[in-house]
Amino acid sequence: MISLLLIQMATTKVPEVRDITRIERIGAHSHIRGLGLDDALEPRQVSQGMVGQLASRRAAGVILEMIKDGHIAGRAVLIAGQPGTGKTAIAMGIAQSLGPDTPFTALAGSEIFSLEMSKTEALSQAFRKAIGVRIKEETEIIEGEVVEIQIDRPATGTGAKVGKLTLKTTEMETIYDLGNKMIDSLSKEKVQAGDVITIDKATGKITKLGRSFTRARDYDAMGAQTQFVQCPEGELQKRKEVVHTVSLHEIDVINSRTQGFLALFSGDTGEIKSEVREQINAKVCEWREEGKAEIIPGVLFIDEVHMLDMECFSFLNRALESDLSPVLIMATNRGITRIRGTNYQSPHGIPIDLLDRLLIIATSPYTEKETKQILKIRCEEEDVELSEEAHTVLTRIGMETSLRYAIQLISTAGLVCRKRKGTEVQVEDIKRVYSLFLDEARSSQYMKEYQDSFLFNETQTAAMDTS
Amino acid sequence: MAVQSWSDVLKSSKKTALIHDGKRKIHYLFTDGKEMAEEYDLKTDELIVRKWRHKSTLGVQGSWLLEVGESLAGPVASLESDMIKENSSNPVFMRKDTKTSFQWRIRNLSYPKDVFSVSLDHSERCIIIKTSNKKYYKKFNIPDLDRSQLPLDDSALSFTHANNTLIVSYKKPEEILTFEQELLKELKKLKGSAEGDVDCKTQ
Repeated sequence: MISLLLIQMATTKVPEVRDITRIERIGAHSHIRGLGLDDALEPRQVSQGMVGQLASRRAAGVILEMIKDGHIAGRAVLIAGQPGTGKTAIAMGIAQSLGPDTPFTALAGSEIFSLEMSKTEALSQAFRKAIGVRIKEETEIIEGEVVEIQIDRPATGTGAKVGKLTLKTTEMETIYDLGNKMIDSLSKEKVQAGDVITIDKATGKITKLGRSFTRARDYDAMGAQTQFVQCPEGELQKRKEVVHTVSLHEIDVINSRTQGFLALFSGDTGEIKSEVREQINAKVCEWREEGKAEIIPGVLFIDEVHMLDMECFSFLNRALESDLSPVLIMATNRGITRIRGTNYQSPHGIPIDLLDRLLIIATSPYTEKETKQILKIRCEEEDVELSEEAHTVLTRIGMETSLRYAIQLISTAGLVCRKRKGTEVQVEDIKRVYSLFLDEARSSQYMKEYQDSFLFNETQTAAMDTS
Repeated sequence: MAVQSWSDVLKSSKKTALIHDGKRKIHYLFTDGKEMAEEYDLKTDELIVRKWRHKSTLGVQGSWLLEVGESLAGPVASLESDMIKENSSNPVFMRKDTKTSFQWRIRNLSYPKDVFSVSLDHSERCIIIKTSNKKYYKKFNIPDLDRSQLPLDDSALSFTHANNTLIVSYKKPEEILTFEQELLKELKKLKGSAEGDVDCKTQ
């Protein structure tokens, strides 16, 4: 019995201290870091993860400049093109080049259809999320030099960690108790004794200002970029004015919450009354005139815009006329099709009156050389090594089937290659996954041949309504 | 906005009084949206608590900030324990007035008396407590004097140290004394709702 206990104790491993530095997963567009333009807005052939599409990228660059200027409100842009020609990539490129301070809200056309919220409410919320207000606010901060950090992890490995942090200024010293969240962010920032830090008391955000001058002579390995700063003076807790950007939607939510204890039960925001919105608009305009706040029009990106219906389009028409309106970027891959909610046909499934207000950017299919380049970039992004022949084969597959299918094959072929303990993906690996996974054309072919043996084949005559 | 005297501001505010738990509780709602709450002892008429609350620029409801009195650190504190809070071994600063003087008590200060030095800073209108061993430092103003725009007087300031507590006193000037008496008279005229539970409106 005792020995069993011992074994159990031995097997309860001390859980690994997980690295809290952000791990990003690789998404379909995570290789895009910008639009890949030079200072004269001329597109480079391959840059920042973008390949080809020179004309549309140049057009997007012009739009980008307009957004950065921030003077023009309520413009709308439509990116139209076949599937897999980089529409979303261009939008992502714009988002990346705008930087973190300009709000960029992305949603898909189908996201607004919810039973809890009307379509127009969802759209207005999206519009207001894309408008930023830069405003000064007073917050309480703690600023001091770290004397000591002490973090106790419980011996069992689970349960709350407890920590103490001693901070000092030239005049005083205080000990703080740390909560779990605080301990995590302190270890993430790699704060150690001798650092001068500020902590925002409300949000718990930690900023490292540098190392204290008194530690300049420590025989420590220090990077060249280590900055030395004076130990702060006076009190540890100070009130400071900080500038931060909030979206109009966030201000709406703050002011529409049920007050008091009822706020505890109303987790979701639900619909926001139009009176609240009007009040906020008036207040923001007042702040702007007083110089207290600055309005930053951002970007609202609606992907798959043909999924919107007639009511949404007429709402967009109206919303674009407001002076508190962001730049609207839409993307669609439809040609002339039925406008949802009507029986009329229209280009891109968008009514003519809205189309008339749009600047349209077209994307064209990639050439073979560009496809090869994109596949190369994706290989780097997904950490898969490809032999020259395999690369050529994959490019052929990409040209004959679709770019998306070829990209899907990269990681699967990589896995197959790793299973046979290879280091570089060969033509065999590509062949293997090509035979394992059907592309769209082969799948349709297969369906045509074998549809009789599938379940429910008697309903085959009912045409699928996709619009 | 013209400089309005503090008594006028008080008069224009919306006041609600309540007698409960042996205390006269008064809630002021000012025209700019700020709120102030005071609690007076019914027997001695001493001010026990005065606290403020106001909304931030964005409209977030702030929490009560104590000007006078002791905070009731209860189980609420553990709710926010995810963040950072001062260790209980740190000095605790609070204001507790007497009839004739403003008084601040800083508990948990176990250093000898000669470590402390208390002085007035006229340019910033505040009192500064310093320690020669660099363990404690505090800068604070006297809101009552600021509100009534009265000058600071060096001779009114004194401090003592006993039982690990530093007590800083500032003698109330004549103007404040008369103002407080008048205010108390006014407040007693306010009809406080009866003792006991008040009807609480439920939704």
